[in-house]
Amino acid sequence: MLGVRTLLGLGLLVAGSRLPRIKSQTIACRWGPTWWGPQRLNSGGRWDSEVMASTAVKYLSQEEAQAVDQELFNEYQFSVDQLMELAGLSCATAIAKAYPPTSMSRSPPTVLVICGPGNNGGDGLVCARHLKLFGYEPTIYYPKRPNKPLFTALVTQCQKMDIPFLGEMPSEPTMIDELYELVVDAIFGFSFKGDVREPFHSILSVLKGLTVPIASIDIPSGAGTQKVGQGWGRLGPYPPDSCPHQV
Amino acid sequence: MSSAAGPDPTEAPEERRFLRALELQPQLPDMGRAELSSNATTSLVQRRKQAWGRQSWLEQIWNTLAVCQSTAEAAALERELLEDYRFGRQQLVELCGHASAVAVTKAFPLPALSRKQRTVLVVCGPEQNGAVGLVCARHLRVFEYEPTIFYPMRSLDLLHRDLTTQCEKMDIPFLSYLPTEVQLINEAYGLVVDAVLGPGVEPGEVGGPCTRALATLKLLSIPLVSLDIPSGWDAETGSDADGLRPDVLVSLAAPKRCAGRFSGRHHFVAGRFVPDDVRRKFALRLPGYTGTDCVAAL
Repeated sequence: MLGVRTLLGLGLLVAGSRLPRIKSQTIACRWGPTWWGPQRLNSGGRWDSEVMASTAVKYLSQEEAQAVDQELFNEYQFSVDQLMELAGLSCATAIAKAYPPTSMSRSPPTVLVICGPGNNGGDGLVCARHLKLFGYEPTIYYPKRPNKPLFTALVTQCQKMDIPFLGEMPSEPTMIDELYELVVDAIFGFSFKGDVREPFHSILSVLKGLTVPIASIDIPSGAGTQKVGQGWGRLGPYPPDSCPHQV
Repeated sequence: MSSAAGPDPTEAPEERRFLRALELQPQLPDMGRAELSSNATTSLVQRRKQAWGRQSWLEQIWNTLAVCQSTAEAAALERELLEDYRFGRQQLVELCGHASAVAVTKAFPLPALSRKQRTVLVVCGPEQNGAVGLVCARHLRVFEYEPTIFYPMRSLDLLHRDLTTQCEKMDIPFLSYLPTEVQLINEAYGLVVDAVLGPGVEPGEVGGPCTRALATLKLLSIPLVSLDIPSGWDAETGSDADGLRPDVLVSLAAPKRCAGRFSGRHHFVAGRFVPDDVRRKFALRLPGYTGTDCVAAL
């Protein structure tokens, strides 16, 4: 919750799309859109009532999100390192609130974090590191690594903390379902455009078949931010237990 | 109460401006000091000094043994994180500052504070401790406290400059002057965060305005939160002849040796980023963090 408030203050609440908001008939939980079905939290998860009661969270378009980013970098002189650290920490906090270790079957709970080639992937690396500190057992799949000091440093931090990096992606959803209790999708973020290239196209296909929950960082990877419905055709609906947290 | 050198006539106009800026007479939070009144300010300071002196020699020895991290060990820990683990200084400062702000919210929860009590003066020195203070102030702002910063000796390095810009752009005021009259600070703010001197920084290194600020803060009667070590304390021995006596100590990553002599109200460890291997290597005895907390009470 603290992480969400941090990012609220930074104006970094980014949501996926302009998909039509489905008005919920239940007592207002106005947190997030409901296009993925009723949000269900495991035991122990309880959103701050203040957040739930807050009016009209704004959902940003891709351009707006990029503009917010630019403002933070250029005007406020935030660095990518800073914001990525706060974002990854906030994501890990949100995930831990939605799926507390005590509610999971394994101890420590196993999590697969799939990191894409850009900043969303960097967020995933930070998230994995904090999940480890929170008592989870993360494993990372990071097939396309930018050759930049920021990302190589984040990888080193994870490696030094004994977070394993998979050499290849499990090819069957059932393999993931058996090994991991939760998957973190840190593949593509709000600046993603165009077609999904390999290996991510195959990865997303595998994720479509999962039964374990998926938590997406920023937006569900492959969901078009501008074109209504198109992204969903590719990725399909998430299982009802998943929480694509827009943090 | 004027400074020992007598009132400085060049400072008087600033003091008058400061007085005009005062809009509020904040009520002090109820911290079990129900007897406090403005008339009792001096006696509170004296009572605080007496309470500190009462810590028995046995307690002092035990506290020193229970707490780790000499200055050399703290420096070695930082080097390990920066060089072996490739953490960036910006990352660690951000995590420490954020966690420090969370510690403040735990010691002084917002719902229990009146509007006036939410005003926080953050005094920042020119070194890393000051950078952590700048980050702390920014997160306090996000957490809906009302921070004001006094940062008289501004470091030229990029990290400090960027952190300053972030605070400025978030409309956190920067005082150009800190009055020497401590009562003005007591009346204007609900609490003070001391982010002036960290381990290994000598009081003499930080310049006149910081030194004068510390002298004023020694007489504070509103709560004082020190980041990492109380400014002015010897980081090893905790001898505090000239140092502050904070109510709350927020140790960053791990307690420093001098923290054994701390006997204020709350001692937190903040900054949950030390990997297990490093913790074992340096034989750190940290309290257990619960859940997703980045702050743990000792």
